[in-house]
Amino acid sequence: MFSKFYEWYEKRHDYARDWLSKNDGEVVGCFCSYAPEELIYAAGCLPMRVLGSHEPQDVTEPHIFGMFCPFCRDVLAQGLKGRYDYMKGIMIAQSCIHLRQSFTSWRNHVPVDYSFYLYMPNKVQTEHARSYYAGELVKFRDSLQKWRGREITDDALRETAELYNENRRLMHEVYDLRKQPNPPISGREAMVMVASSFFVDKKDHNAELKRILPELKSRTPDRECGARLMIVGSENDDTEFIKMVESVGATVVVDDHCTGSRYFWNSTQFNGDIMQDIANRYIDRPPCPTKDWERRDRFPHVLKLAQEFNVDGVITIQQKFCDPHEGDMVPLKEYLNSNDFPTLFLEFDVTVPLGPMRIRVEAFLEIVGEEELF
Amino acid sequence: MAEYRTEPLKCWNKAKELRLKYYKDYQDAHKKGGIRWTGGAWAFDAIPAGLGRDVYNITGEPYGASIAFDRKLSLECMEAAEAKGWARDLCSYMRNYWGSMYLNKYAFGGDYPKPDFCYQDHICCSHGKWYQHVAEYKKIPYFCIDVSVGPYKDLDENRLMFVVNQMHECIEWLEKTTGRKYNDELLCEAVETECRSTSTWAEICTLNMSKPAPLDEKTMYSLYVHGTLAKHSKEMADFYEELRDEVKDRVDNNIVAVPHEQCRLMSDTQPPWGFLKVFRYLEKFGAVSIGSLYTFGLIGIWEWKEDGTWGPRTTPMQKGERITSRDQALRILADWNLSKPEWQHFYDPNLKTEMMLQIVKQWQLDGVILHLNRGCEGLSCGIMENRLGIAKTGVPVMTFEGNMGDEREFDEKRTMARIDSFMETLGITIPA
Amino acid sequence: MTTAGIDLGAKFVKVLFLKDDEVLARTQERAGFEPIEAARRAFAAALSECGLTENDLDAICATGAGRQVSPFTKDSVTEVGAAAKGTIYLHPSVRTVIDVGGEEGRAVKCGETGKVEDFAINEQCAAGAGSFTESIARALEVPLEEFGKLSLKSEKSIPMNAQCAVFAESEVVSLVHAKTPKEDISRAVHDAIASRIISMVRRVGINNEVALVGGVAHNPGFVDALERGMETKVIVPEHPEYVGALGAALTARERSR
Repeated sequence: MFSKFYEWYEKRHDYARDWLSKNDGEVVGCFCSYAPEELIYAAGCLPMRVLGSHEPQDVTEPHIFGMFCPFCRDVLAQGLKGRYDYMKGIMIAQSCIHLRQSFTSWRNHVPVDYSFYLYMPNKVQTEHARSYYAGELVKFRDSLQKWRGREITDDALRETAELYNENRRLMHEVYDLRKQPNPPISGREAMVMVASSFFVDKKDHNAELKRILPELKSRTPDRECGARLMIVGSENDDTEFIKMVESVGATVVVDDHCTGSRYFWNSTQFNGDIMQDIANRYIDRPPCPTKDWERRDRFPHVLKLAQEFNVDGVITIQQKFCDPHEGDMVPLKEYLNSNDFPTLFLEFDVTVPLGPMRIRVEAFLEIVGEEELF
Repeated sequence: MAEYRTEPLKCWNKAKELRLKYYKDYQDAHKKGGIRWTGGAWAFDAIPAGLGRDVYNITGEPYGASIAFDRKLSLECMEAAEAKGWARDLCSYMRNYWGSMYLNKYAFGGDYPKPDFCYQDHICCSHGKWYQHVAEYKKIPYFCIDVSVGPYKDLDENRLMFVVNQMHECIEWLEKTTGRKYNDELLCEAVETECRSTSTWAEICTLNMSKPAPLDEKTMYSLYVHGTLAKHSKEMADFYEELRDEVKDRVDNNIVAVPHEQCRLMSDTQPPWGFLKVFRYLEKFGAVSIGSLYTFGLIGIWEWKEDGTWGPRTTPMQKGERITSRDQALRILADWNLSKPEWQHFYDPNLKTEMMLQIVKQWQLDGVILHLNRGCEGLSCGIMENRLGIAKTGVPVMTFEGNMGDEREFDEKRTMARIDSFMETLGITIPA
Repeated sequence: MTTAGIDLGAKFVKVLFLKDDEVLARTQERAGFEPIEAARRAFAAALSECGLTENDLDAICATGAGRQVSPFTKDSVTEVGAAAKGTIYLHPSVRTVIDVGGEEGRAVKCGETGKVEDFAINEQCAAGAGSFTESIARALEVPLEEFGKLSLKSEKSIPMNAQCAVFAESEVVSLVHAKTPKEDISRAVHDAIASRIISMVRRVGINNEVALVGGVAHNPGFVDALERGMETKVIVPEHPEYVGALGAALTARERSR
């Protein structure tokens, strides 16, 4: 049922090349899920988030010091190895300082026609961030217009924002099914569904979502649900890991990842000024820890998800060396534990050693199971 | 081989006293009914100065470095932070600081003095999170200003005003938090003083262009620190002027840092504080580290001059301007700080490479030693691109790995061996 | 002129005597806990091998981690300088020298005279050195000499991340439990270490031609992984573990001219 999503996820470059052959636009690589894709799409381009490939690599050492996260190095490796040689534009919406190095090194060493660094505010909790960010988005729009030689009208933006909202709404619908006692969708399928949405035209993605939703609603799961788990943390599109977790008596029913729910959770609200509306959508998004201060708005959101999806336990994962998540892990664990959700912390690298990880997950499932008994 | 005259700085003791007085004043603030706050060395400290003349702060980075210098205490602090579950690769100043807070041990004796509030700015991933935790742990209010509006060369009204608006918001918050009426005159005075102190520090650094150099970086570490403690304070600004005059005097009288100077280097990022003997080791080769973008530009404020050189930024007062209103003060304060050299690489490593190469040229350097600092992701951001950019121009560059605040991540023997290799490639041998 | 080079490495002490362009002796001893004693034994063995006395030597130069405590000479050259000099003497067209020993890996970019232009040394957390293969070979109960050859029999790439040696070891354990053939494990381990080393080499650039020196160069599995990873041929000198000592002997000769 999910084969289209798997195909898009695994053959993202084929999709992009095919898109280029059929459209009069360019593919724009987006670094970070904060990228306001609506502007790129409305400019007639295909926004495509740059993710890693989960292969050990030896090409980034001259560019990024080894104490930065494996994900940002994996991302840069894709560029240095020429995997995105069809991609003419790149842009970053500012968040952590790890990933921006992938962007600046890419700009230095991988040929592109267009690059844009968007100074997305980190303090999203101040009201001043709204007008400031809208002002920065105007610069991004101007720059895209100049590059593409075509106007990005407010109407086109509104239409795109509606298309994106539809995508968000449809993915919400799928996520809602995961609240069922035995969800008709596995965590791995959900992960691939969201991750594939980074790579393809949202029209295609929406069409596929609409096609599968009725089927999905009547799908009888061919497996037991087991323990209901939530997975929370930094960038994670490690499908092999989820597959392993779901092979030992558990189902991942919800997540808080920028590659998962965080990407599509909230929608654009239309209040008149479309640029301000889009800015607000990103300001109001469930935050990445690097933007979650002075208050901790992220924790209550995570807790709400855990409760709504009725999870038995939470796996907190983190890319090795990811400072933003390292800054949240200790209080997040305390917070979840004090709300009666057991947690298991795991550190991720480009490849995850499944053997040692399985031992940890199985031990955790024992704990979760025991809690259920008493 | 020439042997130059060398002697200690006359104002050395004063430097030491000022620093200790700063930490003592903070500790004793409440005895006199004063206010104490904690936050980063890059926080806009001129703003809380408007709350009165009895406002004292400790800045976390130099405080964390002071702990690092005491290796035994540092290890205790690190272990206390790890016992809470924090990752070992987080900012080592932050871990030292948190450890000192958990252990209730002030690095300058006594208990960790509880701050009245936290006040910070955010440019690296740890900045905002550091005091979020302190505020939660100590149950005190917290305000943090986001300064990540891009490099100074691209600053415009929208970007400047994002920072200025937050500053205005902050003043309202300060009044509410402390119950004090805010004094704009004190703010204006503090901003003027900050411009004076940070430009004067840059001026001191330019005196090190003199060959042989009057100062070495190890000495500069003990002097630039005052700017990281309270760059807005009159005491510190006056001290920098006194220091500048003395360094000028050293230049005029050929008093130097390293008696057998035969090789001029610069470093980068914070050093491993527990192992400043690295610099003594360099001296054996007659190699002097004249500073770094870090010692020059962490606190010093610089600008590109019309003739293409790089020098101390002209202060508003030097241009004949006086600061008289809150909004004007905040605009100047934001603009001034956003031009900080050490903030530019957060957006583009090439901007830092350009400044580093300018230092190589103006200060007539033979090579560059980059500290790949595992303790600070902020200043290590883009450092490998800096290495590539420098090496591409043919300037010899060496790297060594370490950690400014966590001695467990520094391998002394292998670092010295690496310096040997580097000196060998530069053709420098230890003078007989 | 006859000169001696002594390489006081982390695991072995190597001694080489050089007369004009003829190597008179090569000896080595395990450094153990008494590296100076080991150096004395290796030195004495070298003297007896060619029937010389210490007085017959015109100059001696030491290199290696223990060069400053060398009992025979105060003259020394760094490992980086010695590896470059020794390699260029043997293979003048080489511009990138990779030197992998028991505890440390190094990459040197050099000019035509053997002058070092840039170098990189593996940082902490790097599993990229000889002792890692040793420990894995031990874990698999395969003699070290066999372990390298074994990997050549494999045609299957298993991605393994060697960012951390401890984690890599536990990955190996998982592979063993999954009944992965030993040759595939061997290849995975060699690929992982080679990847670490290549990462470092890229910092100085892969400048043709490339040579591999140091004891690990005897391991055909590692050489193969290195060549595949860099997509370039790697020259291995005849006695790769003695290149540092040779560089030291050459330095002694240059300095006494």
